[in-house]
Amino acid sequence: MENLVKVTFSLNGRQVEAEVLPTMTVLEMIRRNFRLTAAKEGCGKGECGACTVLLNGEPVNSCLKLAASLTASDQVVTVEGLEKDATMQAIQNAFVSEGAVQCGFCIPGMTMTSYKLLQNNPNPDEHQIKQALSGNICRCTGYRKIEAAVKKASETRRNK
Amino acid sequence: MSSISFFRPANTSEACELLAKPNYLAVAGGTDLIVKLRNGLFPNAVALVDISALPFKSIRKEGDRLIIGSGCTMSAVISNPEVNEYFPVLVKAASTVGATQIRNAATLGGNVANASPAGDTIPALFALEAEVMIVGQTGKRKVAIDEFFTGPGRSVLKAGEIIEGFALPLRKTAGEFLKLGERRAHAISKINLALSVFNDGQKRYRIAIGSAAPTVLRCKGAEELLEKAGEIDAATLEKAAGFACETAKPISDVRSSKSYRKQMAGVLLKRALKAIL
Repeated sequence: MENLVKVTFSLNGRQVEAEVLPTMTVLEMIRRNFRLTAAKEGCGKGECGACTVLLNGEPVNSCLKLAASLTASDQVVTVEGLEKDATMQAIQNAFVSEGAVQCGFCIPGMTMTSYKLLQNNPNPDEHQIKQALSGNICRCTGYRKIEAAVKKASETRRNK
Repeated sequence: MSSISFFRPANTSEACELLAKPNYLAVAGGTDLIVKLRNGLFPNAVALVDISALPFKSIRKEGDRLIIGSGCTMSAVISNPEVNEYFPVLVKAASTVGATQIRNAATLGGNVANASPAGDTIPALFALEAEVMIVGQTGKRKVAIDEFFTGPGRSVLKAGEIIEGFALPLRKTAGEFLKLGERRAHAISKINLALSVFNDGQKRYRIAIGSAAPTVLRCKGAEELLEKAGEIDAATLEKAAGFACETAKPISDVRSSKSYRKQMAGVLLKRALKAIL
């Protein structure tokens, strides 16, 4: 017997409902039930950060969060939900212009974590960028360009 | 796995009642449990009991104690002004747990309840002489943190009991937490060490070493030596480091070797003492 749990929460600014298995993660739910495929499963154990989404404004590993735990007041935001956000656009443009995207698998997570960093700190130094992104792994190992892109995005935003 | 049930009790007694049943697993932040569940470590799991709706998320003063709710995330602990003012060692330890994404979900209660010998906040709680506040079906009890763990992954927590929080003696401390891992960020400790110093008329030292024995250990030999020494010179540092190495009873495993861990216990103590002197 399958014990489905009904959850209501806010996804990218819209109140939504879903029926999920007790062991289903937020990542599986947003990909399967809502077809939002930017967040990805890299390791499935909170090491790589490819699944990073914002939960109530804070970056979390969506592969380690039970979908059934979400409540009506919870807000989940994925890259798709920041499509028109000026900071996210600056980050995405900087990732492209700095050549920070190689295979691309880690990039949605990288941009989500960078987005939160720039919200908290509009002018991060190199160390702060590295520290903020320490939970996001790029197996193409293109870290220098990713760091340069975050720096550039922060400059773009400050000079707007 | 699909026959597992899910509960999100709104009050403590309901949660305790559920968790008294065999193979009902408590879920707080989920950062450790979900990985284990997916790796098949709980083949007999019957239900997941999400305890995040319980009122265990506050940090408050109560008499001569600071009470930190078990449901506080690492990030909540790190950003709390009182914890920063009184217990820097706990802030430093919590800051080394995982990366931002983990710290935003992982809870202090979860780190302790998991009872991993490598849990980073545990030596800090030892060094601060925390009491574990436990609630169960028949009432509440408090257990000193150094009596809470009985082995790797094991504690005195019984079926139907939940950690509701931690009571820390409210006194200003200086402190340092150091750990060695594969990376500087987001690594499980090969060995870690927490040092807390306070003054109650005399300078007191509290030292705990993690990932160096089946449970975290206090290093009372070094504590007494430092308290008697008064002024800490190079010779005293070396002697204290010797006690730390002696206290450590590590094993060799995937993360590190026995001899390295034993030696590093002393190195970490010297570094921690130098950092706060």
